[in-house]
Amino acid sequence: MPTSVDYVVRETASNLWRNRLMTVAAVMTVAVSLSLVGAALLLKQGAAKAEVEWQRGTQVTVWMTPTANATEIKAVGTQLRSLSYVDQPCAFRSHKQDWTEALRLLGTVWREGGTTVAQTPTSWRCTPAQPSDASAVISKFKGQPGVEKVTAPLAQIRTEQKVITVLQWVFIVVAVVLLVSAAVLILNTIRMAIFARRREVSVMKLVGATNWFIRVPFMSEGMIQGLVGSGVAAAVVYALHVVLNDLGTSPGSLLSVMRLSGWEMFGTDAVVVIVGAAIGTLGSAVAIRRFLDV
Amino acid sequence: MIRFENVTKTYKNSTVALRDVSLNVDKGEFVFIVGASGSGKTTFIRLLLREELPDSGRIWEAGRDVVHLPKWRVPYLRRNIGCVFQDFRLLPNKSVFENVAFALEVIGRPKHVVAAQVPQVLELVGLSKKRDNLPGELSGGEQQRVAVARAFVNRPLILLADEPTGNLDPATSQGIMQLLDRINRTGTTVMVATHDEVLVNWMRRRVIELDHGTLVRDQARGVYGIDTASGLAPVGVGPDDEQPPPGTTA
Repeated sequence: MPTSVDYVVRETASNLWRNRLMTVAAVMTVAVSLSLVGAALLLKQGAAKAEVEWQRGTQVTVWMTPTANATEIKAVGTQLRSLSYVDQPCAFRSHKQDWTEALRLLGTVWREGGTTVAQTPTSWRCTPAQPSDASAVISKFKGQPGVEKVTAPLAQIRTEQKVITVLQWVFIVVAVVLLVSAAVLILNTIRMAIFARRREVSVMKLVGATNWFIRVPFMSEGMIQGLVGSGVAAAVVYALHVVLNDLGTSPGSLLSVMRLSGWEMFGTDAVVVIVGAAIGTLGSAVAIRRFLDV
Repeated sequence: MIRFENVTKTYKNSTVALRDVSLNVDKGEFVFIVGASGSGKTTFIRLLLREELPDSGRIWEAGRDVVHLPKWRVPYLRRNIGCVFQDFRLLPNKSVFENVAFALEVIGRPKHVVAAQVPQVLELVGLSKKRDNLPGELSGGEQQRVAVARAFVNRPLILLADEPTGNLDPATSQGIMQLLDRINRTGTTVMVATHDEVLVNWMRRRVIELDHGTLVRDQARGVYGIDTASGLAPVGVGPDDEQPPPGTTA
């Protein structure tokens, strides 16, 4: 292929300038579409993050029978300490502490029930490293000597996981749909740009240019348009990231649990830029194909 | 140089463009292809450029079997063929020099070759002074000269012209014909598809006539219409009637 770098650079630069309106149109199409794709990807990651945040502190309670002796209580405590999937240390709550807590939660109903402090069970409170490990703790301690029951908000965990999974899928689907429409838009823009220059292509064919010779400047042109457009999109994604993080400073709000780190944002930006460059390059190659078929 | 063997070409709407055409053109010949519109002249040119493939028959060009040429070889075939069209097909945003240089750049010729050959061929077509003008600033005849320069700058073995004078007045047309004649004398085989009767009669070169796709006449030193029984040249004398055209075969 006798295509010189010099020729490609010169042709690409002069073509970009000569067709600057089309260049601007293509760049803006890439920028807008990929901004939306990037935003969807960002939200998808935010949703994944929210799942972790929400379920942080999900507790598993190992209720001992009120009559459990010190050895039984200690045995459970020792076992809990040895579990790798449980955040250490686990807290032990005495008769008195649990009685007070029940009183606080249930109020007069508890008092009127007449359960004495001694009749109130003692308990171990643990936080599994992953909320999904709660069921492992339950099955391990259920039925052990001195253990009355093991409880965890499993139904709540399952609901949250379901919601987050659906949410993530929604964002993935939105991102894919946007990506496809972006690809089509970009392809169409490039095709218009090439259509406007089909005469030039036909002259090149006529004087014996090889297909690669014709294709390469168009592809590098598409790549530059894709890169510039996706660069703008990356900046938009970054701005969105900064704004969301600023808004999410108040603890407990939805946005605060979706906060992403800089690395996660850069990962998204990298995807946006690579996709932009690839769509630009391949889009041009596809768009020019039918004009080469002479 | 060019050889057609029983070539038939039919288009999708079942129009027969060429029907069983066989002919042979030697190196250095100057040939007119004449016939009414729709007689198959343009198809003939398109087959030679391999923009079309025949339905049957074989085509040989510059020693190559055109029909069985792999697709990727087509650009290399075209580098041996210069081509001129009625509508010039110049790039409007490139200067005269750039338009001609383009043909060399496209086939990967180094800069110094471009810098040497382009002025030479512009000199040949008489446009040295207009090298920096854009095609839009030139007359039709000048634009066609640029197109001829572009077709010839690469020193092709064959030069094809499809109605090269279709958009030009008679005087300008003669100028273009003289230019093609000069190129022919460098040894380049020239084929001109035309229905310009005056020019064909004036040049007195080999004439191939097509009628509805069928070759009806192949005559050395012919005229446009059916030659009179006398065989005398019509009014007007060709550019070099003393010299027999090179490579003319009966």
